[in-house]
Amino acid sequence: MIETRATVLENVRIAENIYSLTFATEQPVPVRPGQFCMLGVTGFPLRRPLAICMAEGERITVCYQVKGRGTEMLARGYQRGHTIPVLLPLGNGFFVRQEEKKVAVVGGGVGVFPLVSVIRAYAQEKEIFSYVGFRTRAAVCMQYELQRSKELTVTTDDGSFGKRGTAVQALMENIGRVKPDVILSCGPLPMLRALKNAVGGKIPAFVSLEERMGCGVGACLVCVCSLSGGAHARVCKDGPVFDLTEVDLNG
Amino acid sequence: MADLRVTLLGTELKNPVIPASGTFGFGREFAELYDISMLGAVATKGLTLEPRAGNPTPRIAESRGVILNAVGLQNPGVRHFIEEDLAWLREKTKVIANVAGKDVEEYGKICALLDGKVDFIELNISCPNVKCGGMAFGIRPESIENVTWVAKNALKTTPLIVKLSPNVESIAENARAAERGGADALSLVNTFTGMAIDIERRRPILANNTGGVSGAGIKPIAVRMVLEAAHAVKIPVIGMGGITCAEDAIEFMMAGACAVEVGTQNFTDALACPKIIADLGAWCDAHGVERIRDLIGAARMNG
Repeated sequence: MIETRATVLENVRIAENIYSLTFATEQPVPVRPGQFCMLGVTGFPLRRPLAICMAEGERITVCYQVKGRGTEMLARGYQRGHTIPVLLPLGNGFFVRQEEKKVAVVGGGVGVFPLVSVIRAYAQEKEIFSYVGFRTRAAVCMQYELQRSKELTVTTDDGSFGKRGTAVQALMENIGRVKPDVILSCGPLPMLRALKNAVGGKIPAFVSLEERMGCGVGACLVCVCSLSGGAHARVCKDGPVFDLTEVDLNG
Repeated sequence: MADLRVTLLGTELKNPVIPASGTFGFGREFAELYDISMLGAVATKGLTLEPRAGNPTPRIAESRGVILNAVGLQNPGVRHFIEEDLAWLREKTKVIANVAGKDVEEYGKICALLDGKVDFIELNISCPNVKCGGMAFGIRPESIENVTWVAKNALKTTPLIVKLSPNVESIAENARAAERGGADALSLVNTFTGMAIDIERRRPILANNTGGVSGAGIKPIAVRMVLEAAHAVKIPVIGMGGITCAEDAIEFMMAGACAVEVGTQNFTDALACPKIIADLGAWCDAHGVERIRDLIGAARMNG
């Protein structure tokens, strides 16, 4: 974990309200798939926690949705050559075991961003079956990266791109044939709940959670989630990746 | 290089910079980023007698220049802290144990458990985010005096700092109430009670609805309150509220603070405290200040 003044290399729109920001850190940073960073936007007291999509040495790419004033400032105010403070790498990340050969990746909307890092990390040694859902055609992004999968199914809620339906539906239509050893997922809570209902306890599954954060390092206890036993876990430090059977998605 | 040492109730601190309670855990996470032994002291996460789960999420929101939090005193309980974290932390730097009871009796019990084991106790009678305890004790002078007296009587050796709420009618009167109750020092301000509404959902952002407001935007109010408290009592005062840089820290010291706590800025910049310490030295050198303690209460009022 380091605090670095990164230099923006590129900050471009890749879909409706979605931007891809690539920056160079002052030194190479080892990043595991599914880890995230805290990006400081000038004038905003809280940093923005963003999943890392790609990491190669000093070159890091994060993607984000413009949702409020902070991400709007990030999209408009940061161009090539600007510096931006970044704390990284944070969180536990996704981990695929040696014996797990077939990996199903299930992503929804902006939840595909941490999964891109999984696909990049494991596409060579594993068979990756990806099921990613978007709201509509204009929101579809990351196709080039997702196509590193052995099989890719893209869905949209309105059928304007790929298959009509959801990522979890697409997974379930293929699960008997594919027989994944492990499922890795990230997306909106209703999608994660649907996944838990469909496969919870039957196939090992890990999900990356999103929560409003304070410090990003586990000290402030702002971004907690409930575990099934009732205990709280810190999304930033104990997660963001949790065992689907252990995390309470209703809290 | 200027002398940054300050003395708090007979104990020497390397410098006046202390990460504020609730923003720094027990120090372990930030210790992965820098050597926390450089800090003047560490104020721990608020400790209760039994473990507490805290509030539902979202627990944090942002507004212009400030944040709001409603963590609700999630902590593993005072005994867990004593067994698991205290020895490690005390090896690094001075420890200010922040304690919160659900009733007056519990404040006494927690203080008794920590007596002699920490360098200072900071009595949290000003947390706005819990239903029982916290700020309930910190609003009225009579209850401040009472809970301070109970805590002080549970302590044989460890000095008692009382952390005051800014959500009050007269900070001077409450400062005097804590002094009468036997406080050895004061710290202020805790957070201001506030609310932020998500206008798309037409609901407050925080699950708790209200939360404590902190960050750069509260600083002028905090500086004024620290000055009023410092003028009202003879005991030392620790200042905090929106400190983002060395200049802010100096402002609080000139208002009468003998040390400062840095809270929200730890989120904005994880290296905030080391930077402020370095910049305090540079500021003193540039301004011909040999001892930073000479700045305490140095601001003279106009007219």
